[in-house]
Amino acid sequence: MYPFWEVPFFTSGLVIALVATFHILPCHLATGAFWFNVYVERKAFYEKRPELLEFLKKYSLLILIFCFVIGSLSGVGIWYAATVASPRGISALIHNYVWGWATEWVFFIIEIATIYVYYYTLGRIDEKSHLTLGWVYAWAAWISMIIITGILAFMLSSGKWVETGGFFDGFFNETYWPQLFTRTALMFGIAGAYAVIVASTLKNKEVRLELVRTASIWGIGGMVLGAIFTFWYLFKLPEHAKDLAFGGTLPYLKSMLYVAAICYGVVLLWFVIFGLIRPSLSRPVIGIIILFILFAGIGAGEGFREGARRPYIIDRYMYGNQIIAYNIPAKNIKAEVPKFQKEGFWPNLYFKPDNLDLSKTKDRLLAGSVIVHHQCGNCHALDRLGKIRPLSVLLENLAPESPGDIADFLDALGDYPYMPPFAGNDKDKEAAAEYLFSIVRR
Amino acid sequence: MDLSVYLNSMRDAAGLPFYPIVFQVLLVLTFSVHIVMVNLVLGSSFLAVYEVSRKSEFGTRLSKALGRVITVGLSIAIVLGVAPLLFVQVIYDSFWYTATSLSAFWALMFLVAITLAFYSSYGFYLGNKKSSPGEMKARWAYVAIFFLLLTALFIHMLSMEQLTPEKWKAWIISKEGFVSFSGGEFHSVNLGRLLHFIIPSFAVTGVYLMLYASYFSEREDYDSNYLDYVAKRGANLALWASVLTVASGFWWLGTIPKDFSFAQNPFLIIGAVLGIITTAYLGAAYLSPGKRAKNAAILMFLTIFFMSCAREGLRMHYMNKVGYSIYNYPLNVDWPSTILFFATFIMGLFVLCFPAAAAFKAGKAHKGQVVIINPTIVRNSLYLMIAWFVVVAGLGIVISLKNGTLF
Repeated sequence: MYPFWEVPFFTSGLVIALVATFHILPCHLATGAFWFNVYVERKAFYEKRPELLEFLKKYSLLILIFCFVIGSLSGVGIWYAATVASPRGISALIHNYVWGWATEWVFFIIEIATIYVYYYTLGRIDEKSHLTLGWVYAWAAWISMIIITGILAFMLSSGKWVETGGFFDGFFNETYWPQLFTRTALMFGIAGAYAVIVASTLKNKEVRLELVRTASIWGIGGMVLGAIFTFWYLFKLPEHAKDLAFGGTLPYLKSMLYVAAICYGVVLLWFVIFGLIRPSLSRPVIGIIILFILFAGIGAGEGFREGARRPYIIDRYMYGNQIIAYNIPAKNIKAEVPKFQKEGFWPNLYFKPDNLDLSKTKDRLLAGSVIVHHQCGNCHALDRLGKIRPLSVLLENLAPESPGDIADFLDALGDYPYMPPFAGNDKDKEAAAEYLFSIVRR
Repeated sequence: MDLSVYLNSMRDAAGLPFYPIVFQVLLVLTFSVHIVMVNLVLGSSFLAVYEVSRKSEFGTRLSKALGRVITVGLSIAIVLGVAPLLFVQVIYDSFWYTATSLSAFWALMFLVAITLAFYSSYGFYLGNKKSSPGEMKARWAYVAIFFLLLTALFIHMLSMEQLTPEKWKAWIISKEGFVSFSGGEFHSVNLGRLLHFIIPSFAVTGVYLMLYASYFSEREDYDSNYLDYVAKRGANLALWASVLTVASGFWWLGTIPKDFSFAQNPFLIIGAVLGIITTAYLGAAYLSPGKRAKNAAILMFLTIFFMSCAREGLRMHYMNKVGYSIYNYPLNVDWPSTILFFATFIMGLFVLCFPAAAAFKAGKAHKGQVVIINPTIVRNSLYLMIAWFVVVAGLGIVISLKNGTLF
């Protein structure tokens, strides 16, 4: 196993979740915005309305400064966050989907080339070519979503890949299409929200009201279609995930869906009231508040997706603690749990003190700490004041009277549908149990 | 567990989807392009500050132009950097993930630093757009330089830590047996190597200025004295920076273990010879820098490319020393996804002709003039994108129906 990185109180998983959630706003804007932009530019071009160009300039600049700074950096940030929080998880994705990511990178290059040229050549190249530049960007950006959705969906439902190991069998999995449709709809919602904010700042009142209303219609369409496709997405979830979310096993998942629904509902209402019915009331400040609400909704939605795939980080392949769950014969991949149960987890670690004598309590506690960090620390805070699924509190609820009680509990871990089994032999278990007993909050 | 066993056992269980040499070539190629852009951004930031301090008309104009280069260049550098970041994780995963996990905190601080560098550079660019000579403020450029250097330091450190795997364990395991999970390790900085990356920034920026002067020389609304000033500044900068780059290269070379015999590396020799030729050419180009800009740029890129190959060769030396070779990485060749990438890559080059042609022609046109782009290039770019979508979506529907995953 790679060295473990511990984030006090919150776990490293939360770092990825925060970066990923934040990335969604600029990246969905980047993918959706230009469909609206070319719509407005077409109007300006074919209806001979140069007054609309002010919006194009402002909106494109926002995309440049926000999407191609925060968006691209937070995209790279997800990689870095995943690298330090779950190195084997991101490695597994990269080694299966490197060509997918490399293909997406080609579209990134097209995106960045076209957006800059689009922005700086407005009024300097012929209108038709400029409009086509916008179209090329819009397609490139959406195609990048088409690609990344396959990899994201693979983490939730790995499809036939577990049998064939084939790139496309994993890519076009059960939740791919519903996720793509939902995200595509949502991208119009987010692009609409940003467009309303930008349009609200326009000086020409007539144009301002017209564009606020038009952007709101796009936003409403995106939010409504997004809601419809979400039902398809939920319907296509793997049975295991449905059980967790709706069978009462992990009730917080349902709450997350409610939070997402409420947030999106508020955004929809904003579009209807401040965009469609009374566009004159639209103000950038209100729009920015709405973005925060959108951010909360996205966070809840993504939190649901991540929670529903428990105990896996990659469906039916890798557990959340980065241990390989099952054999994938097509790729010569062997499950690691039986290996660790037979050989022991401790002997298979490289980053450990070499001179420990596990017959001594002190050394067992040291070993236990390392084992527990690797096997539990990805999802559970291990410090006494931990906030994310703190082990000290969870174990306190079991009221263990001795390390033996905890060892029994570790034995039964795999019976919980959302927990990976303990991957180690009796010696590992004993050390882990002693360490866990030492951190139980009393 | 032995270090070599650890490194080889941490290779991803899925193996590689294609031959390692292909990933290695792509890694070096994309890194070369990325590093040119990074050098341009860093060198432009320093030069912009210098030109502001001169408070002259030409200096002001040039620093404004460089302000735009920094912002645009930084976005492009980041996007170009995605590819080498991807390929290094594919073939050097054991090293990359270990070093980054050990220094997790700093890996994330890199993101904070680059974000602040980005916005500071926008602060400099947008804040000075309408400034006249003497009014320009360089404070945001200073902040940008500080964070750019910090970014360079973090990335340098992460790269260097990968080359010293024999030290990893001692960094996080105390004598008492405690294992640190803080992710706060910061080791292995090699000043010679870092300078060998930073100093070429001025050479690259110098050559860029020569190209700039050459490109705008056809525009009547560009003062020829100004372009002459820019070209000379560029040639001068490129020449002296190239000389200093060679000197820092020797410093770096002195820190490399002797048993690697790295001085005999063919890529290093070619790179060094090209470097000397480039320096001599720049010296000769001083009298007419605009005319020799293109050749200087080609020579400089070739030098950087071969030095990137040498850098890769050096990495292989370090890794062979600890029993690791990418050439015996287990394979699970996946032709469909490999074809998808290479076909897309070729298509992407065709599509990019359109924005490239538009930017080139629009930049050459006088202010207020509208240029017409060849409709065939315009149309075909869009058709290629749509064709890609149709093919992949069709493939997706067929596979989904076959696998029963669509409905």
